[in-house]
Amino acid sequence: MPEAQVKMNVRGAGEKASIIDVQGELTAFAEGVLMDAYNQASDGQVRAIILNFEDLEYMNSSGIGLLVTLLIRINREKQQLLTYGLSDHYRSIFQITRLDDAIAIHDSEEEAVRAANSA
Amino acid sequence: MTDPKPARTDANIRRTLADFSVPSEPGNERLAMETVAETVRDLDIRGENLERLKTAVAEATMNAMEHGNKYRSEVPVEIMVLVEDRDLMVRITDSGSGPPPAQAGDVPDLEAKLEGMQTARGWGLFLIKSMVDEMNITGDDGHHTIELVVHLGAEGGK
Repeated sequence: MPEAQVKMNVRGAGEKASIIDVQGELTAFAEGVLMDAYNQASDGQVRAIILNFEDLEYMNSSGIGLLVTLLIRINREKQQLLTYGLSDHYRSIFQITRLDDAIAIHDSEEEAVRAANSA
Repeated sequence: MTDPKPARTDANIRRTLADFSVPSEPGNERLAMETVAETVRDLDIRGENLERLKTAVAEATMNAMEHGNKYRSEVPVEIMVLVEDRDLMVRITDSGSGPPPAQAGDVPDLEAKLEGMQTARGWGLFLIKSMVDEMNITGDDGHHTIELVVHLGAEGGK
């Protein structure tokens, strides 16, 4: 399998939340990187995962499928999934696929972190 | 990738803007997408409409490479970009055998996917249909073609 063209960095964001910075492409090849980042982000008392898409270069239907897989895990753990930094185009794709019903979309990191820690 | 051939003009005012192919290798859908975007640079399609066309081209090329050509790198995906009147058409052809993908297809249902009733994947054809004004699928014994149509102009694009 080709190497994933993506990097993910995990950092804390308050007592209840972690941020995963997504840099590059969210495709089928990103599965291992995304799930490793999720495992790292879920340590401790984290109840919310925030995906930072400010540096997302490309996402395809396989990437959408990955987000669904991540959502299944997050729902099972009774956690919450939030995002910020989505471009207008990917926001419209979230609306078309109804991912925006399950993943809270925010305009900024500050807003997403506030929402994650107040839930 | 083969180089895009120079444009030619048919008698019925249909113009071929590009005719090229990409090897069926993972990631080449982005090459196809960027080549089509460059080809239509001077047409009346930009902003979100252009982004939607790019996504449709990438998804259709990925489908062709994966399901049609089974990611055999020596089997190319053929891509033609044409303009006729106020329609932009992108035709993406693979060398798949068997019936072409169903035009209607199953509509992905996020709730069913989250409950494990549908696979997490399976968004491709739905995305393509959502991104362009028309999607037509044709096929014969040795080929499948997905035709993407965008109506150009102020009302063009979804």
